[in-house]
Amino acid sequence: MRTALLFLLAALMPAQALAANQVALDNSVFVERVTTDAAGKQRVLLEEPKVVVPGDRLVFVLAYRNAGAQAADKFVVTNPMPAAVRFADAGDARALVSIDGGKQWGLLSDLAVSMSDGTRRAAQPADVTHIRWAFQNPIPVGGTGKLMFRGVVK
Amino acid sequence: MMKAPVGGAKHQLLPSCSMLALLAALPMQAEAAGTRAGSTISNTASASFDTGGGTTTVDSNRVDLLVDELLDVTVDSSDPADVPTTPGATAQVLTFSITNSGNGVEAFALTTVANAGGDDYDPIVTQIYIDNGDGVFDAGTDTLYTAGANDPSLDPDQSRTVFVLATTPGTAVDGNRGIVSLVAAAKTGTGNPGDSFAGQGEGGGDAVVGSTGADGQDAGAFVVSAATVTLVKSAVVTNSLNTADPIPGATITYTIVATVAGSGSVSGLAITDNIPADTSYVPGSITLGGAGLSDAADGDAGDYNGTRINVALGTVAGGQTRTVTFRTTID
Repeated sequence: MRTALLFLLAALMPAQALAANQVALDNSVFVERVTTDAAGKQRVLLEEPKVVVPGDRLVFVLAYRNAGAQAADKFVVTNPMPAAVRFADAGDARALVSIDGGKQWGLLSDLAVSMSDGTRRAAQPADVTHIRWAFQNPIPVGGTGKLMFRGVVK
Repeated sequence: MMKAPVGGAKHQLLPSCSMLALLAALPMQAEAAGTRAGSTISNTASASFDTGGGTTTVDSNRVDLLVDELLDVTVDSSDPADVPTTPGATAQVLTFSITNSGNGVEAFALTTVANAGGDDYDPIVTQIYIDNGDGVFDAGTDTLYTAGANDPSLDPDQSRTVFVLATTPGTAVDGNRGIVSLVAAAKTGTGNPGDSFAGQGEGGGDAVVGSTGADGQDAGAFVVSAATVTLVKSAVVTNSLNTADPIPGATITYTIVATVAGSGSVSGLAITDNIPADTSYVPGSITLGGAGLSDAADGDAGDYNGTRINVALGTVAGGQTRTVTFRTTID
């Protein structure tokens, strides 16, 4: 048992230590509130999630920064949807999604769900289990950026 | 409500797969009312990249959100139509269903409103009963509601049947409607959607007023279904002279028409008429609707007991008439 644990730590530590000096991924979440002013214009506000109830729209923001000395190639960010959050949309068209727990990936419009009666229907945002961004170009040294997606509290 | 973020990647010793397994075990049942108050929404992302030495994976910090309690309730009248009642009737029952449409366990205070207008009379609410689960009112098995003492506590999505008992005023007349609304209000508090009660939600979060205002109500109605009876009696004299003079030996044919009016019906209606002095009843002369009835108190509706005739009409609905005739001779 102890041996196995040591192996596990040994396998993890170098990568973790290296990672700390390379790319940092910071995760934050906001509640999106829509207010309508006296003139009837809608304003969207992002608030700190002090109070969260079913039906609230959450905005997840993933900020990345290459703090290392080398460019980071094949940069892929993956976010499993929390069980109590229904995917709504991603901030950009490059986002890939999975509807089967991360086995297969694609644009939401390209995916389909197999029904019990053998038919297939187009995937809906509610089917999404994971969201992923796969970058075409390396993140240069010092490069930063933000990714975001929206979800609704079930 | 935001919890303190758990350490970022560089403090993170658990591999991300273990973390996910851990989170999956947290209570987070998805119900129609939504994620249960007090459960935690956790989000962690991971990134992989290659800086020339192979693929490296890092986890983001984990963000935990505590789900707060949404206060919502709906009340629905369960009566498919107005409930018939009669003037002066007591313990008249209206049936309602209250549903906790919030996401936490909540108790609800029940009140009624009977004087909101829009009707013809105000039913007098006497009691509220909480159903024992069979959906049928029974004062012996259902629970008499006492405000503040046994406010029904409902799980998210749970419904409970509630009976409102009322007395119909004796002054109400046929066709009158009387409306009673049942109001259920979250005990934690009510208000405008978005109002919150800090720390009062299930699971330690806040309680937030939902779209229903945390109170709900619906109206049920009684309709008075009464009937009135009008009796019209007439007499025709015939004699051996073929005139209408009431001379001794003349026959008097009495006709009594009972007319029932109204949307209800009368029960136990009977027509009784004493044989006038100085006249004699003609045996076997009672008719009802043109059909003869025997004088004996037996299976048919009519009888003659020596001093009066009687015809038992039983229950007669509004809009119907009954015609009774009998004959006497002048002594």
